[in-house]
Amino acid sequence: MNLKTELLNFKEGITLESGERLDSFDLQIETYGEINKEGSNAILICHAFSGNHHAAGQSNDFGIGWWDQIIGPNKAIDTEKYFVVCCNNLGGCAGSTGPTSINPTTQKVYGKTFPIVSVDDWVNSQKMLMDRLNIDFWHLVAGGSLGGMQALQWSISYPEKVRKAGIFAAAAKSSTQNIAMNEVARESIRKDKNFYGGDYHEHNALPKNGIKTARMLGHITYLSEELMDMRFGRKFQDEASKVDESVNFEVENYLQYKGEKFSEFFDANSYILMTKAMDDYDAGKDKSLEEKLRDIKTEFLIIGFYSDWLYPPERGKEIQIAAMKNNIKSSFVVLDGEHGHDSFLFDSEPYSKLIKNFIES
Amino acid sequence: MAIQLSEIIKKWVPENSKVIDFGCGNGSLLDELIIDKNILGYGVEINDLKIAECIQKGVPVIKQDIDKGINEFISSNFDLSIMARSIQCLKNPDLALNEMLQISKRCVVTVPNLGYWRCRINLASGKMPVTPELPSSWYETENIHLCTIKDFEKLCLDKNIKVKDKIFINRRGTQSSLSLISPNLFAVEGVYLLEK
Repeated sequence: MNLKTELLNFKEGITLESGERLDSFDLQIETYGEINKEGSNAILICHAFSGNHHAAGQSNDFGIGWWDQIIGPNKAIDTEKYFVVCCNNLGGCAGSTGPTSINPTTQKVYGKTFPIVSVDDWVNSQKMLMDRLNIDFWHLVAGGSLGGMQALQWSISYPEKVRKAGIFAAAAKSSTQNIAMNEVARESIRKDKNFYGGDYHEHNALPKNGIKTARMLGHITYLSEELMDMRFGRKFQDEASKVDESVNFEVENYLQYKGEKFSEFFDANSYILMTKAMDDYDAGKDKSLEEKLRDIKTEFLIIGFYSDWLYPPERGKEIQIAAMKNNIKSSFVVLDGEHGHDSFLFDSEPYSKLIKNFIES
Repeated sequence: MAIQLSEIIKKWVPENSKVIDFGCGNGSLLDELIIDKNILGYGVEINDLKIAECIQKGVPVIKQDIDKGINEFISSNFDLSIMARSIQCLKNPDLALNEMLQISKRCVVTVPNLGYWRCRINLASGKMPVTPELPSSWYETENIHLCTIKDFEKLCLDKNIKVKDKIFINRRGTQSSLSLISPNLFAVEGVYLLEK
C-alpha cells in the first residue's frame, strides 16, 4: 500500500477565517499508493472530529487506520490505483499544529490561546498541502461527518480543483441538536477541576474526567438505539471485566472503557476547538447553500444512513436539493447501515460499491 | 426497457434539457438521453442494486420512495419528468401525476393497458390477467393501480391534463394499425406526453 507518514512545515503561515494568523504551522500527513504520471489519481480524505491523518493501514502510534475498511489495496478507495492523502487537521492533537504545540512567539504551549479554526481554514490549509505535493486537482475529496463537511466546502472554495466530492453522514450545517450535544460535552470539560480555564498545561494537570464524560456522551450519539439494544441489551457486565465497581450494565462498562481510553490521548482544548468548528460550520453562511453552490462543476455523491440520528439522511438530502437546483451532477443515497452515525466508517457491500462506482464512473 | 420505448420517449426530449426520471431502474434510459440528447438527467430509484448501476454509469440518482411524495423536486426547474412503467405501482398515481406536472411543464408517462384483449380474455375466463407484459400473479404483483387506456385518458380529462402526444404500442413494441384504430383493445401500452 506504500504508507508514508510525514510532518510538513508551512513557514509561510496562514491567515485564518477569524482574521488571526499562524505565522508558521505543521501538518502531519499520511499518504498511500503512488501518484500516476498524469497526476490524475489523487484523492484527499478528510477526517471527522476526533480522527487524524492515519486513515488506513497499521501504525505503531495509532493502530489500524480509522477508515481502513474503505481505503486499501482493492478496497472501495483502491490504493493500487489511487494516490490517497490524509492530514491531521489544524488544531488537532495528532501531530499537526494545535493547542498542544509550542507557540513560537511565546515559546510556551498554545493551550487555550490557540486561535479558533474553521472548516474553511482546514480546507485552505489542505489546499496549501495540495500545492506542496504538486497536485493539480483532486479526483475525489471524501469524508464522513465533519470530514464530509470539508469535502463539501472544498467544492465551494476550490470548485475547479475537485472533480468529485464524497459527502457521507454529513450536513451543510450543524443542527441545533448537534450544537446542543456538543455544548454538553464542552461543559463537562470546562467543569473538570483540572481544566483551569484551558490552562491545564501550566498547572501540570489534565482534565481527563471531563474529556471522558464528553466522549461517553459522544458515543451515545454515534450509535443507533437499535444497535445499542442489539449489542448490549440489558445484559449485566461480568464481575471480572468491570472497569469500576459502580458499573452494572454492559453498556455502562463500554462507555466507561471507551471514554477512559479516549481521555488518555485526546487534548481537551482540541476537543473544544474541533466541536466549535463543527458547530460554526454553515456552508450557506452569508447567502444560502443554493447560492454557494452556483457554478460548481464538482460531482457529488451524498450518502446518509437510516440509523444515523446525529446527521440524519434528511440533512444530506438538503445538499442534494440545493445541488440539483444548480445543475450539479449529484447523487443522494440512503443506506441501512446499522451503526448509526458511525456507519460511514464501516464497510458494507452497497456502501463500498457505491464509493467504488462513483470514483470510477 | 425495450429499445422501441426509449426511441419514442427520446423524440419528446429536447436537446440539453434537464430531465428527471421517476423509477429510473438501472439508469439506461437516462444514460441514452445523456449520450444522444446531452441532457442533464437525474434518476429516482428505491432499489439499492439498481442505484449502484446508475452510479457506475455516471447517471446521477436519488434514492427515494416516490409514494412518500416528490414535491421537493418542484423547485429544481426541470424541463421534463418521465415515469416509465411505474405509475401503476404507486399508492396515489393521480397525486404523483399532478406533482410531476408541477415539477416540469411537460411529462412523459407510460401506462400498461389492462384493456388489452388478452387481459380481457383472462378476465372473461374468470381469472386476473397474467400476460407477458403483466407477468405476476395478483398476490405478488407490484402493480396495484392498473387501468385501461380509456381510464387513463378519462383521468387526464378530469384533472385538466392536456395530452400533447400519445403513442400506442403493441406486443412487439411497435405501432400497428390495429393498436392505432382501437388502442383500448389492441395496445399493450400507452406512451403519453402530458402538459398541464
